[in-house]
Amino acid sequence: MDTTERGTRIQDLIGKYPQKESAVLPVLQLLQKEGGNYLSKEAMEVAARELGCSASRVYGVATYYSMFNTKPVGKYHLQVDTCVPGFLHGADDIAAHISKKLGIEPGETTKDGLFTLSKVQDLGSCATGPVVQVNDRYFENMTAEKTDQLLEALKNGGWPDNDTAMKVVSKCGILLNDRSRKDCRTLALYKKNGGYQALETALSMKPEAIVAEVKAAEVRGRGGAGFPAGTKWSFLPKDDPRPVYLICNADEGEPGTFKDRQIMEFNPHLLIEGIAISAQALNSAKAFIYIRGEFSWIADILETAIGEANQAGYLKHVDIVVHRGAGSYVCGDETAQIESLEGKRGNPRVKPPFPANSGLYGCPTVVNNVETLSSVPYIINNGAAGFKEIGVANNYGPKIFGVSGHVNQPGIFEYPMGTPLQEILEAAGGVKGNLKGVIVGGLSVPILTAEEAKGLNLDYDSCARAGTALGSGGIMVVNDTVSIPELALRTIEFYEHESCGQCAPCRKGTHTIKSKLRDLVMGRGKSDDIDLVLSLCKNIKGLTLCPTGEAFAAPVQAMVAKFRAEFEALVKR
Amino acid sequence: MSKNIFINGKGFSFEGEKTVLEVARENGIYIPSLCYHEKVGPANKCRVCVVEVDGMKDLQTSCSLAAADGMKVGTTTEKVLEAQRMVVNLLLSNGNHNCLSCEANGDCELQDAAYYLGIERPPFVIEEHKEREDSGAFILRDPEKCIQCGRCIEGCNRLVVNEVLDFGYRGGHTEVVWDNDMPLDDSNCVECGECVQMCPVGALIAKKGMGRARRWETKPVRTTCPYCGVGCQLDLHVKDDQIIRVTGTEGAQPNMGHLCVKGRFGYDFIYSDERLTTPLIRENDGFREASWDEALNLVAGKFTQIIEESGPDAIAGVSCARSINEDSYNMQKLFRSVIGTNNIDHCART
Ligand SMILES: Cc1cc2nc3c(=O)[nH]c(=O)nc-3n(C[C@H](O)[C@H](O)[C@H](O)COP(=O)(O)O)c2cc1C
Ligand code: SF4
Ligand code: SF4
Ligand code: FES
Repeated sequence: MDTTERGTRIQDLIGKYPQKESAVLPVLQLLQKEGGNYLSKEAMEVAARELGCSASRVYGVATYYSMFNTKPVGKYHLQVDTCVPGFLHGADDIAAHISKKLGIEPGETTKDGLFTLSKVQDLGSCATGPVVQVNDRYFENMTAEKTDQLLEALKNGGWPDNDTAMKVVSKCGILLNDRSRKDCRTLALYKKNGGYQALETALSMKPEAIVAEVKAAEVRGRGGAGFPAGTKWSFLPKDDPRPVYLICNADEGEPGTFKDRQIMEFNPHLLIEGIAISAQALNSAKAFIYIRGEFSWIADILETAIGEANQAGYLKHVDIVVHRGAGSYVCGDETAQIESLEGKRGNPRVKPPFPANSGLYGCPTVVNNVETLSSVPYIINNGAAGFKEIGVANNYGPKIFGVSGHVNQPGIFEYPMGTPLQEILEAAGGVKGNLKGVIVGGLSVPILTAEEAKGLNLDYDSCARAGTALGSGGIMVVNDTVSIPELALRTIEFYEHESCGQCAPCRKGTHTIKSKLRDLVMGRGKSDDIDLVLSLCKNIKGLTLCPTGEAFAAPVQAMVAKFRAEFEALVKR
Repeated sequence: MSKNIFINGKGFSFEGEKTVLEVARENGIYIPSLCYHEKVGPANKCRVCVVEVDGMKDLQTSCSLAAADGMKVGTTTEKVLEAQRMVVNLLLSNGNHNCLSCEANGDCELQDAAYYLGIERPPFVIEEHKEREDSGAFILRDPEKCIQCGRCIEGCNRLVVNEVLDFGYRGGHTEVVWDNDMPLDDSNCVECGECVQMCPVGALIAKKGMGRARRWETKPVRTTCPYCGVGCQLDLHVKDDQIIRVTGTEGAQPNMGHLCVKGRFGYDFIYSDERLTTPLIRENDGFREASWDEALNLVAGKFTQIIEESGPDAIAGVSCARSINEDSYNMQKLFRSVIGTNNIDHCART
């Protein structure tokens, strides 16, 4: 790319956003691509000049997000996901295999400059682990043999096929479609199956009427917190002159979670229709889909689908921009996501003010999860009453559960809210081995022992009563081959890596807990360390700037408290 | 209308919009705080300033909590102290906070907090080593002491608007960077030292005072900066008639604590042997020392003579850029109404 072409492309990226600095991530992504998967300081200076911001500001952004390679990497960057789901699926063996095969340790590059090996955090591919991301492509369901084939192919300049096989069951048939069809993501098929009728209905409704219907449906946010979407929408200030922004949260960063991508990758028009209806309801003329950067091919699919919908005239009232993140779990938090969309480091904001009053660019903003927004067309087509026929009281509608870890057939399951855990586990082929514990709502919720998990129904209220949370519905099954101290260490490693570093209890707390758990796992820990970890967890809960503190303190505390004997057994005597 | 809040059971009245921390400070109640600075407002980062509030489940950061009429606040409950101790312990144990050798000893908000909380030494130590950065002419960076409060960054970007500093990296690796993480001396930093003044600990140090006096050994002397007409207010920190450090006077106009590199660090000239200490009168090829009376009489006599011979417009007054506004004002007054000329100028204009 010559400099004029580069300049034009940068200007095009800037043009997508109401404010110039929002283009920092896309501009850096462009420059990294141009630099052969490497973002040099010179490139960052180019970005700072083009975007009119200080060098330190751009540098701060570039070094915040884990997908920017500010040190050169090999031609093929092999990134093995060794976070909790990967760990349960044997990712460590794959990393060790690559290490041995290539003669490099994680973080190193082969002498010929061909391969760099890294261990990375959750890639949102939990049922198909172990997964290796090579540059921006995923290779799932990896075995030692397939890893050899992959390395061989790469050496010869080719790319093998990716094996994405997993169990897919849709009992509701609302959010998931038939992905076996080649044309599953086309507008033509979507329309043939009744797609965009809800939008046509909505466009003839008053915005308040749409909000009222969604409110009546009591659809609870599927991003994790379970806050009713209609209620959130009704918080927007009335008769406000400022523009309203709608952000679709497609960051899907919570380990164990891989549900939103099922909609976006195979049924993209459902989400687009949901966004189009919601934008109409909220009077929003600009919507963003903030998708985690690792899902780059899914972002491409979304852009294609938006193009189709635009051409068909469905998006006259709203401009939808796909914004790719760059590697940060905390950017899944709505206020961090807003900061990130403004081209900043993904540091969560203090609430209040809440986004409904002062969100993106200080304007009223609604952030909703992919699955939440994808439920909206069904609500419009079938009415709130129709939606409430699915699920249980106070927990209505379909829910996508992801099951990973020790089951015979990991995969994705669309079932009514309130379905017994047992039923989902059976759909996933049953537990492999003896169940030790289960984490039902993504890594940030407290683990349940096998005993506690008995008779659990998967809805927000039942999970809360059981002392855990439904969260994102990412279910991780742990059998008795797993050491809980190891699991706790993996858990805190994730949060330590992802902490934005803004507030002291999280920044230093994750680091300290990790170092103590590592001491214990390595057999050099003391009995005091167990109590220290527990007391840190206790005090960190509720003390941090954003919910991340709770998100690591609660699960680590549960692992230590419920399986204390395993930790004690590791103490050096 | 005045409102009331109760802190530890005692009522305090306040006016207008105030935070709990502000009301507490006004009334001499200490709540440890590390990232709040009145010039840049709450940052919500350190979480040390927490208090317990009746009717609220979680602890609240007093630096950002608006005081409300009738609010009941506890600053010394066991829950508060336990949380504060944890944070301060975490900060102390994940860095190199050796007060014995630290330049900020006695003037450190972390030390104050630890002392208040009765922390003798951190209960655990996490080994980490970060190099000091010594490239700057006047500022030393010691990242091992940095507590990531962000005050230096806010000062650089929002107060003096030099836009050199920001946070780089993430999580436990978060660090203050100069431009794109370059040595201070190679960066666009002008070393105005605002960051040093904002730093609550000893992570940014004015090099000139290093090893010469601890904070309690110096006496502050308030003065006006002699460098230019802005008239910045500063405090000289003096020991044995020697300036150890200079800080801008917080809360005082016109500079509200900000200084430029000259005002903060360029004070050595006062110790120069070549400084004039008496008037000098030029005679033949050189100068001779004279008394003020003699010198002023000579000048007055010459002025009178020139005015008599050639009129007052043969004289012009030029004031020095280093004089304060009041002196420049008096100079023109003298020339206009006493001497009778409008020939007035200022050296910075020429
Ligand atoms: C650290 C953190 C990470 C989060 N990650 C996600 C995420 O990946 N996807 C998501 O939809 N919500 C995530 N959330 C929740 C969002 O802040 C927000 O509540 C949600 O997107 C709102 O959408 P909903 O009401 O439709 O669920 C996260 C929250 C926190 C604190
Ligand atoms: S809790 Fe962690 S992630 Fe949240 S603001 Fe604090 S440091 Fe950042
Ligand atoms: S250098 Fe000082 S002012 Fe800057 S972030 Fe660190 S502790 Fe705070
Ligand atoms: S002073 Fe309040 S959070 Fe730091």
